[in-house]
Amino acid sequence: MSDYATIGVFLLLTMAFPIAAMAASWMFRPKPKSSEDKMLPYECGVDTKGKTWIRFRVSYFLYALVFLAFDVGVVFLFPWAAKFKFLGIYAFAAMLIFISLLLIGLWYAWKEGALEWY
Amino acid sequence: MNYALLSTEVLTAVIGLTVLVAGLILPQRGKKVVGILAMLMTMLVLVVASLHFTDYEVFFGGVYQVDAYGSFFKILFLSAGLLVMLMGGKYVERFEERSSEFYALTILATLGMIIMACAGDLITIYVGLELMTISFYILTAYVLNDEASAEAGLKYLILGAISSAVLLFGMSLVFAMTGTTIVRDIAAQFTVQPAMIAGIVLMIAGFAFKISAVPFHMWVPDIYQGAPTPVTAYLAVASKAAGFAALARVFMLAFPLDQFNWSLALAILAAITIVVGNLIALAQKDVKRLLAYSSIAQAGYILAGLAAANVYGLKGVLFYAMLYVFSNTGAFAVTTAVEVETGSTDITAFNGLAKRSPFIAAVMTICMLSLAGIPPLAGFVGKFYLFSGAIESGYLWLAFIGLIMSMVSVYYYLTVAKAMYIGPAESEEGMAIGGAARFALWACLAGTILFGVFPAPLSQMTQCAIGLFF
Amino acid sequence: MIGLTHYLILATLLFGIGLFGVLAKRSAIAVLMAVELMLNAVNINFVAINKYVVPDTGVGQLFALFVIVVAAAEVAVGLALIINIFRQKKSVNLHDFNLLKW
Repeated sequence: MSDYATIGVFLLLTMAFPIAAMAASWMFRPKPKSSEDKMLPYECGVDTKGKTWIRFRVSYFLYALVFLAFDVGVVFLFPWAAKFKFLGIYAFAAMLIFISLLLIGLWYAWKEGALEWY
Repeated sequence: MNYALLSTEVLTAVIGLTVLVAGLILPQRGKKVVGILAMLMTMLVLVVASLHFTDYEVFFGGVYQVDAYGSFFKILFLSAGLLVMLMGGKYVERFEERSSEFYALTILATLGMIIMACAGDLITIYVGLELMTISFYILTAYVLNDEASAEAGLKYLILGAISSAVLLFGMSLVFAMTGTTIVRDIAAQFTVQPAMIAGIVLMIAGFAFKISAVPFHMWVPDIYQGAPTPVTAYLAVASKAAGFAALARVFMLAFPLDQFNWSLALAILAAITIVVGNLIALAQKDVKRLLAYSSIAQAGYILAGLAAANVYGLKGVLFYAMLYVFSNTGAFAVTTAVEVETGSTDITAFNGLAKRSPFIAAVMTICMLSLAGIPPLAGFVGKFYLFSGAIESGYLWLAFIGLIMSMVSVYYYLTVAKAMYIGPAESEEGMAIGGAARFALWACLAGTILFGVFPAPLSQMTQCAIGLFF
Repeated sequence: MIGLTHYLILATLLFGIGLFGVLAKRSAIAVLMAVELMLNAVNINFVAINKYVVPDTGVGQLFALFVIVVAAAEVAVGLALIINIFRQKKSVNLHDFNLLKW
């Protein structure tokens, strides 16, 4: 029976977490008057301003390329995480090295200005 | 497993990253010091690799192997990288703030080659191969605002990606038939079936692209001409040697010759490559392009040794790959010096070079004669091994084609010598080359002559290296 | 019943379509997409072979993962090179890249 109690505690926690987050954001956010824009239903992003068929800045593509590289690099974490207990401390160290290599890459991209958006 | 034996690989990765990070931290992107840093550290790794020549260890159940064969190629790649960095220093100065990335990518490409040569399974070979090629894609297109370089980079990328896809498809068929990707285990599960043969043929096609064998050579002249000259040199000597290293290991160990005769396919490929490479080289007016076609022909000679698949032939493959580093880098070093000086690699830019700098002209001539296989230079010994291996395996016709075409090749090598010695000189003033480039030229010259006059030490090294095949 | 052969035929067809795309398309970006198709055909091969030939190991799936990651790196470099050449030529049409021949 105590197993179900654990699930119950988890259920309460998972319910409490979003409520707490929303309450916190309600408490801390600035509360200006509502305007027409703010009352619009939010579906897939806000309404666009101006024409949408414009040419994007090239920095957008650089940003996307950096994202792609890191996004796909993380794929190696999945097989490692699935076998984490079996692989043990050696694989953990190897993965730390892998992640630090990724971090050097991120640092490089940052310094090169690939993350700038202006 | 003794992980200390992986020190060469780890050190190479570390210096690649160190150079990259040095470019981020140091003032002015470290353009003054990164080159020296990269060269010194590569030299250190070269010493480490040489000291560990006879180490033997199998890692992760055959996925990665440290053996004399791999060590031989490690030494080859590192010395090629070092020579290229030494001779290209002056050229790289024009990249200014981007030189740290240039050196970092060069070293990472070297790491890819090392992994390729030591890999004992198909996945690792593929990853090493791509680490090498992707670095080269960037290096090829490294001259910004130069249309030829950008075009060469894009062409290399598209053709390289197709060839990797073909190679992978071949690997997947071999995996389907044997259920393993470890090279040694493939041999145990080997059965001759249509799908297996299709896999082997596709793998030959994929590797033939990397070693630029005809009919998979179309990319070579364009990319060699468009790329920065030091990169071209590195592509020509080391990338090709890496292709041969992986090709020889996979085919010798995974596909037993007595069950499926792949050597005839390679022999035919070698013959076409030798003939086409040499004949088209005759018509070239640009020295970089001429060297590109000559390097296609050289790939044909080496492939002849691999097709022979016996002790002599394989010794020839390793011997020739090593001497090719020195002879070809020497020729490219001279081309780089001329390009830095005159801004062109056309054959007319070499006119009267002998008057401007007798030393440079002499290095060029000796390296080219070695490539043509004139005794007592190193190229002659290499070709001797390759062709006697071919004859021993019954490919007399292949050795014959090789000999005839070597004679043809003397013609186009000598057109360059003719321009240097008899061509009308436009200016008489001497050419200034840096100390590092001069050192690289001396090293190339020494290698080319010494391996020809005293082939015994290198020959013993190759004997030791190919021990794992017999 | 769907067996290994079906997957292999599917992968071979996809590979052929990709190869056709590489040879027939004129836009550099479309060519890159066609190359991706070829690599994905290989991935299907590896995963299917893993399932039907050696179901108790994960070698084929691992190989597919590596192919995915390497292909992403290749595409990132490819797009960067295309941006680079577009800045100079104002075109991504492979017919316009004809500086180097013979």
